[in-house]
Amino acid sequence: MLFWVIAGLLTLGASLAVLMPLSGRRGAGSAAGAHDLEVYRDQLSELDRDASRGLIAAAEAEQARAEIARRILKADRDIKSDGALDRPEGKALRAVAVAAVLAVPVVSWGIYAATGSPDLPSQPLSARLDKNPADSSVDELIARAEAHLAANPDDGRGWDVLAPIYARMGRYPEAATAFQNAIRLDGATAAREAGLGEALAGAAGGVITDEAQAAFQRALQLEPGHAKASFFLASALAQEGRVGEARQAWQEMIASMPADSPWRNAVTQALQAADSRLAEAGGAPDEQAAGPTRDDMDAAADMSEEDRTAMIEGMVASLDAKLQQNPDDVEGWSRLIRSYMVLGKADAARDALQRGTEALGPGSAGATRLSDFAASVGIEARE
Amino acid sequence: MTRKQKRLSVIGGALGFLGLAVALTFYALGQKASYFYMPADLAGATLEPGQRIRLGGLVEKGTIVRDQGTEVSFSVTDMEQSVKVAYSGILPDLFREEQGVITEGSFGTDGVFHADSVLAKHDETYMPKEVADGLKAKGVWQEETQ
Amino acid sequence: MVEIGHFALVLAFALSLVQSTIPLVGARSANERMMAVGTPVTLAGFALVGLAFVILTICYVRSDFSVANVWENSHSLKPMLYKITGTWGNHEGSMLLWVLILTFFGSLVAVFGANLPASLRATVLAVQGWIGTAFLLFILSTSNPFARLSPAPIEGRDLNPILQDVGLAIHPPLLYLGYVGFSVCFSFAVAALIDGRIDAAWARWVRPWTLAAWAFLTGGIAMGSYWAYYELGWGGFWFWDPVENASFMPWLAGTALLHSAIVMEKRSALKIWTLLLAILTFSLSLLGTFLVRSGVLTSVHAFATDPSRGVFILCILIIFIGGSLALFAIRSSSLTPGGIFHPISREGALVLNNLFLTTATATVLVGTLYPLVVEALSGEKISVGAPFFDLTFGPLMVPLLLLVPFGPLLAWKRGDALAAAQRLMTAFAGSLLAVMATMLFVDKASVLAALGVGLSVWLILGALTDIALKAGFGSVPAATMLRRLTGLPKSIYGTALAHLGLGLTTLGIVGVMSLETENILAMKPGETTGISGYVLRFDGVVPVRGPNYTESQAKFSLATESGQPLGQIVSSKRFYPVRQMPTTEAGIRTIGASQLYISIGDDTADGGLVVRIWWKPLVTLIWIGTLVMMLGGAVSLFDRRLRIGAPAGSRRRRPAQPEAVAR
Repeated sequence: MLFWVIAGLLTLGASLAVLMPLSGRRGAGSAAGAHDLEVYRDQLSELDRDASRGLIAAAEAEQARAEIARRILKADRDIKSDGALDRPEGKALRAVAVAAVLAVPVVSWGIYAATGSPDLPSQPLSARLDKNPADSSVDELIARAEAHLAANPDDGRGWDVLAPIYARMGRYPEAATAFQNAIRLDGATAAREAGLGEALAGAAGGVITDEAQAAFQRALQLEPGHAKASFFLASALAQEGRVGEARQAWQEMIASMPADSPWRNAVTQALQAADSRLAEAGGAPDEQAAGPTRDDMDAAADMSEEDRTAMIEGMVASLDAKLQQNPDDVEGWSRLIRSYMVLGKADAARDALQRGTEALGPGSAGATRLSDFAASVGIEARE
Repeated sequence: MTRKQKRLSVIGGALGFLGLAVALTFYALGQKASYFYMPADLAGATLEPGQRIRLGGLVEKGTIVRDQGTEVSFSVTDMEQSVKVAYSGILPDLFREEQGVITEGSFGTDGVFHADSVLAKHDETYMPKEVADGLKAKGVWQEETQ
Repeated sequence: MVEIGHFALVLAFALSLVQSTIPLVGARSANERMMAVGTPVTLAGFALVGLAFVILTICYVRSDFSVANVWENSHSLKPMLYKITGTWGNHEGSMLLWVLILTFFGSLVAVFGANLPASLRATVLAVQGWIGTAFLLFILSTSNPFARLSPAPIEGRDLNPILQDVGLAIHPPLLYLGYVGFSVCFSFAVAALIDGRIDAAWARWVRPWTLAAWAFLTGGIAMGSYWAYYELGWGGFWFWDPVENASFMPWLAGTALLHSAIVMEKRSALKIWTLLLAILTFSLSLLGTFLVRSGVLTSVHAFATDPSRGVFILCILIIFIGGSLALFAIRSSSLTPGGIFHPISREGALVLNNLFLTTATATVLVGTLYPLVVEALSGEKISVGAPFFDLTFGPLMVPLLLLVPFGPLLAWKRGDALAAAQRLMTAFAGSLLAVMATMLFVDKASVLAALGVGLSVWLILGALTDIALKAGFGSVPAATMLRRLTGLPKSIYGTALAHLGLGLTTLGIVGVMSLETENILAMKPGETTGISGYVLRFDGVVPVRGPNYTESQAKFSLATESGQPLGQIVSSKRFYPVRQMPTTEAGIRTIGASQLYISIGDDTADGGLVVRIWWKPLVTLIWIGTLVMMLGGAVSLFDRRLRIGAPAGSRRRRPAQPEAVAR
């Protein structure tokens, strides 16, 4: 509302700036020549000033004075010959004037209506952060925490609180930094090191890098048997294709962990996946680490349900996209079909089989291998 | 001299002066403008030893070698060919592997490009224009969408 | 609040439409009331653009990320100074600043132009209105600083770190005050062409605007050069980069205009040429804006480029330059030609100055645009850099600088070159002495360096000679001399100061270019190195945390060769996490007029640090000289002296034609 009032006032002011001179009384009527006269008189008085201060020699001043006088005479003649100074305005001129006055509000409101967003209030950051926390979005709460930490970068507890929140939101690089700050300021704990490892793995797109492994190992040194660290280290083995060793590690975890551990479920699933992978590959190490495996999915076990699904689906989708650019990859198609089966999307798996067969060329050796594989996981090519 | 002659001589002098300046400008353009090449363009180019050129492309991954002192060498590539560049001094802030770079200098007899200046892109959205155009022409690089 | 800014901008556009038409219609139809519209409309337009600018600044200060422009270029953790300067550190904001300054100059004309002929004032304001209309339309249609984001992001993307600098706070406003200041000269020129009237009074009116714009542009270029010098960490002060050339061309043309306007003002000669220069100078300013804003040229410090905007500015460029030159072609013949003069005279010297300066402008223009033309014609990419300009610009400047001291000593209309040369004997002897001293006492000084120093001293002494002669130094008693000194018109001091500043800048450039020493080496903590009689010890690297960056500071201890400590120099590398961008902060120590400049590079394999050290003799004189030039411009600006010239050699003769005025 206030906006419209101010906008109206501004428009009024601007229109008046046009209207006032136009509706004013007719000027005394001085032509250009008359102004020239003023300039020349000004020059004359300046000349006198300078002459009296001795800046100009008397002879020179006299000559200049004569020169200016000649110009004054000429200007005077011009004015006389010009005759009428302010010619009466015709209808056309009056129309132009009216148009000008109208143009100001019409053009401005027209353009503004097309381009402005009058309903959008300004949102200075401090005001947004001072809001009642209950009304704030998660983003704003995080921003508030960030602002606090920017002012007090040595508040280890603050970093400790913020780090897992970053991780849950998928902002892994920030999570890793926050964990590192917490460790630097408040010392290493198993939970922080494990969190750091998880964040680093997340930042690397789910791959448990050397750096992440080192963090998990530090966590285990601080707290032997730390569930998250053990689990991820085993997953790292699986990612490297050392499924047998991974399986063994998980079995040791199951054996030693308390019955009510939240990790029991995840480990059990990981074990099953490892078993099926070992069976599939005939016990041989699986060289294809790309694409989501059960391990990866289980790695996401302690995420929320939605996040986990989103992550897995994202990985599957990226595999799918890769295959569309590079469709000759039989192994890739096999992995895609298996992934969809693991997700419980039999239709999608069937679709992938069909697309794979088409891409490889129906009847080709690759297509045959693909349909054999599909049959082994319980999918039949459609007619 | 009459007034007309005087005026003519002044105008003639000015024209002569301008002509001299124009000639100098074109001579300088021929001599001092340095041509821009991507590594793959070099095959078709005839370069005299010591001729100054600008060489642009991407810094090839894994080719940056620093010695104990201030010498540094790296390869500039356009994904087709690559050229070894030697440089002594401080590399720009944004000099990184697989980023656009323009080097200026000349080829030595050893086939190595000796650069006396190295320009990298100046912020994260700025790719040296010649490099971007060259890579686009070769279909190697697509403009990032914002 | 934000929307008020947007609305104010739109309203300013509507007013500029009125400003472009009504006063002009009034002037052409001799309608007083319509002419009178110009002043209030111009002032209101300035107020509205100012309001929009203030609101945008407030958005930056308050980190309002619902404004897209703020979100793209600011960050809540940025220091307050850079939040404010960030307003014009980006394309949209800088264009708004451009228009703000344009309307500001328009308002100055409206306010201070009270004793201009009404029709001239109205026409000038209308032409200013055309420029304003074009640029406001450009802003509103392609680069609206008030575009909104909904929902608003919670954090901005930060300003390009190399632009987070005090130099940048001052550089664009000064540069734009210069660029846009020439718009007034342009408007006066176009108005004169439309009116078909031009006389000494016209020159008298244009001169202060030229002086002001020129002084600001000088400052803006100098500031930009100093910024590049210390912020880019390359140790260079001028790169002949297209963006630099873009500001240098209007400066050269503006300098020529400044000098030809004197001739026109004092002698009513060179009228048509001066008009053309006024048009060309502003055209080059527009061209500069186009080159920087469109990104058609590769530049080391192009910071915001967008080809689609380039087309729009190109249209503005073509309409204004093409239109004004066409108008010039049609109307210039109707203007009365000016007075005549002998080739050897003050006028002749100023014409020579113009010839050199415009030719130099042309070579810079060719060097800047040639790569574009070649690429368009043959597809070949070439770059024209320092070697080209050294070969073309240099030879043009040397004779010009040699002639500078003669100019002010020659009389109007008919001068005596021999007498002037005799009066300059002292200055000549002084510079000869400087050449010999340089050869004898400065290590490694080449003949060229010595001659360069001599040329600079020649300029400085020449400027002082002018003042000394006009005060009657040595020929009148001290008291009379002092009285004469205080009584000298300010414009004479302005000329002398500007020429003195030119000498200082030349001296600085010669010093750096010919006597600079440079040392690149890898240093480990504790190691020392010597440069130009100083000993530098590398103490080590310390990590430091800034408000929005992290920094590793390399500390160096400086001492004389005899071991007397001279304190510490800190050179650092910063990393700005938001943009994931590193920058180099050079470590600079000023000793006298010279500087020791340290820039650090990468770590070496064995734990050392690559360090580049320059000894830059007299380098600060480059910028001190430009400050003196600016001061000269300012002093001249406040000259209230009679501005009609007189031919000293023709006291007993009748002036050659009516317009020429005797003193």
